[in-house]
Amino acid sequence: MSKDLELLVQLQDLDLMIEEATDVQKLGFSITGVDELKQAREELSEKIPKPLLYRYERLRGKLKRALVPVKNDICLGCFLRQPTSLGKQGREGSEIFTCENCGRMLYWLD
Amino acid sequence: MKKTELSQHFDKNLFLPDMKATTKEEALEELLELFVEQNYIKNKKIVLDMLNQRETLGSTGVGNGIAIPHGRTTATGDVLIAFGKNDQGIDFDAIDEKPVKLFFMVIAPPHDEGNVYLPVLGSLVTILNDEEKREQLLGVSTFEELLSIIKGDQEE
Repeated sequence: MSKDLELLVQLQDLDLMIEEATDVQKLGFSITGVDELKQAREELSEKIPKPLLYRYERLRGKLKRALVPVKNDICLGCFLRQPTSLGKQGREGSEIFTCENCGRMLYWLD
Repeated sequence: MKKTELSQHFDKNLFLPDMKATTKEEALEELLELFVEQNYIKNKKIVLDMLNQRETLGSTGVGNGIAIPHGRTTATGDVLIAFGKNDQGIDFDAIDEKPVKLFFMVIAPPHDEGNVYLPVLGSLVTILNDEEKREQLLGVSTFEELLSIIKGDQEE
């Protein structure tokens, strides 16, 4: 997996955590470190090339989840099957591909 | 959430009644390793980073000897729960500062079909608030016993 894709996965994981912090707190969990996570998010985003970060933010604003896993060639954003040829290249991770149906960036799990 | 729905997120291969960990960091890694061994997760480092960040947000040691480390990650495709038990207890920075003996690690994808992740967490918290159930869980030695307790505690 490319370093940029790995950074994007980490960034989205942080964004999801920050986004759902209030929901999780309502369930009874102690939430005290939102500011620390926001700081970590800023530091992480600085490591991502600007065009890729812009692409991520744009997709996130439009679709909520910018990057989704692909399992058994199924995009777990829109649940549409991806072409087998795309999977071969996607698994190599040298390039970041998008789902032709929903437009989200794809991360192959297998 | 119905009892059958919650129980579907447990997996007999994600069951560790004799955890060896002695620290919080080791406990997170030991439970996560179960997911890696079953190929539910291929990039352990990314998910471990996520779990550690989650602990920065606030300890998932919810008190009464229970921890529910959890989080969404792009590096998985399923909402799954691993169960672990450590009879000695581990210092997990729990809110009541008591050692943790029962662990429920919940890992979910960014976008889960049916939006079950938060209801799964909520159902676990509800079950584990019951002192009798906690006592029963401390005696669990098989996956079937675990499922029986989880199912028996849920309202249809």
